[in-house]
Amino acid sequence: MEMAYYPGCTLHASSSLYDVQIRLIFEKLGINLKEIDDWNCCGATSAGKVDDFLAVAMPARNIGIAEAAGFSEVMIPCSSCYSRTLVAKHHLIDNPALKEQINEELSGKIQGHIKVSSILEVLLARVASGDIDEITGKKLKGLKPVCYYGCLQTRFPYNVPVPDDVENPQGMETILKVIGVKALDWSYKTDCCGASASINDEDTAMNLMARIMKDAVARGANCMVVTCPMCQLNMDVYQDKFCEAHNIAERLPVFFITELIGLAMDISLSELQVDRHFIDGVALLKGLDPA
Amino acid sequence: MTVSVNEFIPETANTLIEEVMERSGQNLLSCYQCRRCAAGCPVAEETGYVTPDRLIRMIMLGDYENALNNPLVWKCVSCYTCGTRCPNGIHTARITETMKKLAKENHLQPERLKVVNFHGTFINSGIRWGRVNEMEFMGLYELKNTFPDINQFNFKPVIEELKTQARLAKAMLKKKRLHFGFELVKGRREIKKLYKKIKKLRKKL
Repeated sequence: MEMAYYPGCTLHASSSLYDVQIRLIFEKLGINLKEIDDWNCCGATSAGKVDDFLAVAMPARNIGIAEAAGFSEVMIPCSSCYSRTLVAKHHLIDNPALKEQINEELSGKIQGHIKVSSILEVLLARVASGDIDEITGKKLKGLKPVCYYGCLQTRFPYNVPVPDDVENPQGMETILKVIGVKALDWSYKTDCCGASASINDEDTAMNLMARIMKDAVARGANCMVVTCPMCQLNMDVYQDKFCEAHNIAERLPVFFITELIGLAMDISLSELQVDRHFIDGVALLKGLDPA
Repeated sequence: MTVSVNEFIPETANTLIEEVMERSGQNLLSCYQCRRCAAGCPVAEETGYVTPDRLIRMIMLGDYENALNNPLVWKCVSCYTCGTRCPNGIHTARITETMKKLAKENHLQPERLKVVNFHGTFINSGIRWGRVNEMEFMGLYELKNTFPDINQFNFKPVIEELKTQARLAKAMLKKKRLHFGFELVKGRREIKKLYKKIKKLRKKL
């Protein structure tokens, strides 16, 4: 089957490993991802702080292109892009005048019926259909992850259908269970990593991340699993820094969920580009006992 | 005599609350100060007196200056925890976002200039090229941050800042997470045109 795919700026740059992993595992799942033609930046978390019109208009153009191309579903792996696009879609549905106004300048006109899905929603449908269980021969024993969702997978600043439990989502846990991984229960799965604060308000971001890390360590986790590239980058790149500042001795690799699924599908660590993490995850994954 | 911590300014109370309600899309009047927002706020430790409920109160009372320039407006990370827990569905993060814009429109010096520089530069890059190219964006952002110091011939903080970012860039390079390509969107004019049009419309109002 075919599905529209919106990678977003970061999957074409600092988190391109996530893009590589997604393409690899979706190919195995038989889903043909079609990158939206000539897509633009969604405005991320910045647009709402700069101009509310842009916060809708920027993702609106991408929706228009995908709909004009005839797609009924678009998969957006980055939490920020996903949240912005979903919120924009519902703004446009609720405000036909605004939709009209934006459509005037767009070459791909918006209807507002495309399903905007996070990567978890798409993968969960494949869990339900049994596809993932069928393809993943390998079960990953020895991993003790905490699933870290961050903010924008379940909290939206607008009335939209929320795909999972707001305070205690279970999507990642459900997927990991199929590949033999039992994720640990913990209290910080939807806490904020600070997002761009790691660059514009460092101390605040380091405090937030240290709190998340402390709970993960206290629960006995040996890694973190995420879907959001911003959470991944922050928790990985700044881990030495916030751990040193907050007296945390342990270090945890921060995996994209696609890395673990890929491994269970027998895709090699080098193909998955696991060596591109700041906190090494290769040793942990190599040491797993394939059962 | 008791002294109120909040100041009531009748002259501005109506206009301020009306403007914030309209622009943020939040019904501030339904806040009954239960403070679930304050309890869940992840940056509450760092915002001192100002919690989401108190920001709402300041706006209601017309305390223009404090409502526009306080630690919460600039420390808020827009995690939307307050909004999802509010029994009245008030998204205070949408209010802090609105205050950031109002502060800029009123030419107020923000408590954290870096926050303003970050989001402004990000959106400018996204609109100029259609996509945010991380290297270009970070370069322009740092230029904006260091400009006031350079202007004053105060080079020490500039060098410190550049050192920090250079260290990050070096580490990113080692992990092959620095991207040198430059992405350009063919249809980027569509958003630019829309934005121009809307700005013109706003001026007429």
